[in-house]
Amino acid sequence: MSRNRLWSVIVFVCVAMLALAACGGTAPAPSGEAQNASNANAAPTSAAAESAAPTSAANDSGATAPTSAASDSGAAASANGTLNGVKLPDDAAPADQQVYVVHYDNTSDFTTVDFYESVYKRGGAVSDVLSDSLVRLDKNFKIQPGAATKWEVDSSGLVWTFHLDPNLMWNDDTPVTADDYVATFRYGADPKHAWDFTWFFQGVIKNWSEVVEGKVPVDQLGVAAADPHTLQVTTVSPAPYLPAMMLYSDTMQKKALEAHGGLYNSDPATSVSSGPFVLKEWRKGDRLIYEANPKYKGTNKPFIQKIVVIGAAPSTDFASYQAGEIDFVTGSNLSPADNQIIESDPELKKQSHPQPNDFRTDYLFFDDQNPPFNDVKVRQAFSHVIDRDTLIQQIIKPSQGIPAYSFLMPGFPASNSKELSSIQNYDVAAAKKLLADAGYPDGKGFPKITLWLRNEAPVRQAVAQAIAASIKQNLGIDVEVSNKENKTFTDAMNAKPTQIQFGMVSYGMDFLDPFNMLSVWLGGGRHNWNNAQFDEMVKKAASFTGDPNERIKMFQDAEKLLVTEAPGVFIYHRYQSDLYRPYLKGTELEPDQNGVAAIHWPGISSFSQVVSSIYVSKDVANFDRQLP
Amino acid sequence: MARYLIGRIIGLIIVFVMVSVIAFFLMHSVPGGPFDEEKSPLPPAAKANILRKYGLDQPLYVQYLRYMWSAVHGDFGISFQSPTESVIQLIARTWPVSIQLGGLAILVAFSSGLVFGIVAAIRQNSWIDYVVTFISTLGITVPNFVIAIWLLLIFSVRLRWLPTGGWPTEGSGNWKAMILPVITLALGPSALVARYTRSSMVEVIRSEYIRTARAKGLSEQVVVMRHALKNALIPLITILGPQIPNLITGTIFVEVIYRIPGLGKFFVSSIYLRDYPMIMATMLLVAMLWSFTYLLSDILYTIVDPRIRLN
Repeated sequence: MSRNRLWSVIVFVCVAMLALAACGGTAPAPSGEAQNASNANAAPTSAAAESAAPTSAANDSGATAPTSAASDSGAAASANGTLNGVKLPDDAAPADQQVYVVHYDNTSDFTTVDFYESVYKRGGAVSDVLSDSLVRLDKNFKIQPGAATKWEVDSSGLVWTFHLDPNLMWNDDTPVTADDYVATFRYGADPKHAWDFTWFFQGVIKNWSEVVEGKVPVDQLGVAAADPHTLQVTTVSPAPYLPAMMLYSDTMQKKALEAHGGLYNSDPATSVSSGPFVLKEWRKGDRLIYEANPKYKGTNKPFIQKIVVIGAAPSTDFASYQAGEIDFVTGSNLSPADNQIIESDPELKKQSHPQPNDFRTDYLFFDDQNPPFNDVKVRQAFSHVIDRDTLIQQIIKPSQGIPAYSFLMPGFPASNSKELSSIQNYDVAAAKKLLADAGYPDGKGFPKITLWLRNEAPVRQAVAQAIAASIKQNLGIDVEVSNKENKTFTDAMNAKPTQIQFGMVSYGMDFLDPFNMLSVWLGGGRHNWNNAQFDEMVKKAASFTGDPNERIKMFQDAEKLLVTEAPGVFIYHRYQSDLYRPYLKGTELEPDQNGVAAIHWPGISSFSQVVSSIYVSKDVANFDRQLP
Repeated sequence: MARYLIGRIIGLIIVFVMVSVIAFFLMHSVPGGPFDEEKSPLPPAAKANILRKYGLDQPLYVQYLRYMWSAVHGDFGISFQSPTESVIQLIARTWPVSIQLGGLAILVAFSSGLVFGIVAAIRQNSWIDYVVTFISTLGITVPNFVIAIWLLLIFSVRLRWLPTGGWPTEGSGNWKAMILPVITLALGPSALVARYTRSSMVEVIRSEYIRTARAKGLSEQVVVMRHALKNALIPLITILGPQIPNLITGTIFVEVIYRIPGLGKFFVSSIYLRDYPMIMATMLLVAMLWSFTYLLSDILYTIVDPRIRLN
């Protein structure tokens, strides 16, 4: 055989294999579903095999459960539909199917499942289910009682009293007391612990900053136990948003904290829970298993009996979902190619649930202290050359976001997007005039600039390229886009003075109050824009204890100033389109007041009522589910 | 020989020290640290607390000397990514998984590569030869993460014969999960082995002593297996050597795509997360493995081919 013929054979086979792989990429979902359907209808054997498989899981939970309660109630479940003391909904699948399987990102830090140990080392896994927060969120992002049955503030507006649910117990049979909460807050402020989220309570809880700085001992912190079931939190200034912040208050156990340190929940042997789940197994870097806590006495009792969290790179989530191995994929782990497959497949499209998640806004920011961006006209000119509608349609896609002309996303408290949409609107003529007024007609004399990105996904790299092209085309300014590694970018952004002249970044909320989002723009914070009027307006509104509607209005005025002064040019509010199987049901997953049906932020954790709502319905029989 | 070995080992120690110095100062010259300021800059006091906690408040040379002093005493610190165990424990937990995967891949690669290479050489220019040539060209040219995704889409997502990932550790898990990663990892080296075996066998088979063996009336099997193969193996040692540290330190892509809880991902995640103790440990581990592999393959040459002497 001649060399040429050999090569032509090779080329042919390569093309054939690529085609095969391409089919594998675009078509598997529909045929997979068809296959499932036919399995369900025509092959009862597969259903039998399915129900046989999970029994091994049920067995080992029965064998190793500390009490026989789990296996007992499992047996009872088939008789009267109750499980661990809760009555399953009528259409729920049997107890051995009440399992929820997800991935966590094993390329990120994952050392703890406790907020007060570390916020950024929780690996994006199911976490914070081993105790109750004082409050939790419902699907409408309203604050509901959690470990605290009620709360009130005194007449000074400074001292908050939280009344703890006296029924709460740790699963070592000791009661949950205010001392546990006090110990947890002290641990958060302890300089020796060096918590990565200390900024959160700085300037809010009395003496928090002083304790972090080591100027004041930890026992002077403004968190105290008035009696075993009454917790008192004292703030620096009136903080009507404090209950919202108390979302993050899933307590650690004082006893365990003292005996084993803050990582006591990293090993089932030392782990202790007063929350809806207990830690059953944690094979580091591999997987983690929770089981429903048979001794849970709180009000967030789950139907789900077992949560399996498997370590995986985010890019593999979609394949595992298609293979029936996991029940849920967060939208942020889906690539544009994955989303294209979902869009073109009616079955998968039904399983995609767009939702605002953490109300994240992507925006451009500037070094506002130095030329050329210290001139408000230049910033405003930039704000007028971004065609958000086209970006959404062409690059971002409508399922992944909506145009942003202001910072607070629709649905977030004090959002005023309609009224503010004309300030940073797409208006090339106005942009040209503003730039000329600033002394750079048609971009003449304007330096070449670089747009920094923080390790952005391809879709936002494309957005940045489109923005750069638009600036070049409409304003005559050369912009180079540079996607930086995460920590390099963050270091440069936070440096004082900032080392980033022009960048793109996003912010998502931490708690449901306008103060949280708007505080990003306070002087001395994330960006170097320094506007005394804005600072005063935001701080005044934050601690305003009068009519809540008036408080909202004050925040709206501050945001209007922000949008007008344009230290940030707002591009889009992210939507996250999560994938989950239709057999996951629950009232919290049904449409909220805005018609959004989804597993709302923050998902399965003690911060949310999703925990006590979500269950696996009988529909699971129609799916080829591969339980681990 | 002994003098040669001592010389080589002293050389290695110098190499380790140099690697440690370069790695240490390089990693500290990169911005960022084991703290997270993505949302908001940390208050200076909080940042100082974190730096103090990890001993990063000291001057660099002090940190380096402290590190080396502990390292010499067998203490490589605690990985920031896994604060409940020491670096040694972390490596002891994850490396065996990578060694298992790499070892199996080497086994599969060499046995299949040898068989294919020999068959292709004996049946030169037959259809078997062309098929082997084609597959090995594919194996060498297509990167393993592409192969990984192909196999995953075909066998896990479409056919659903095999799980998309995982690894049987600590007595649990599905052995079927091992199939795809081992094949993925083995394909490249297998192709390499097949190509080398084929060409050196073709060369050896035409040599005089093989003709002599045949003339003596030995069976073809004996000629190939006993006489030809031994000499054809020499070039394989050259390519086997570098494959070993490559495969047993865990290949990042394959481990990541197939969710294998091995050492591989730490080479990348340690750097992204500024996990200084783990960066140092992985660097030194790789340096050590490579050095010893080369030393070993040099020694192996003298055994297989008596004409080669170490001096």
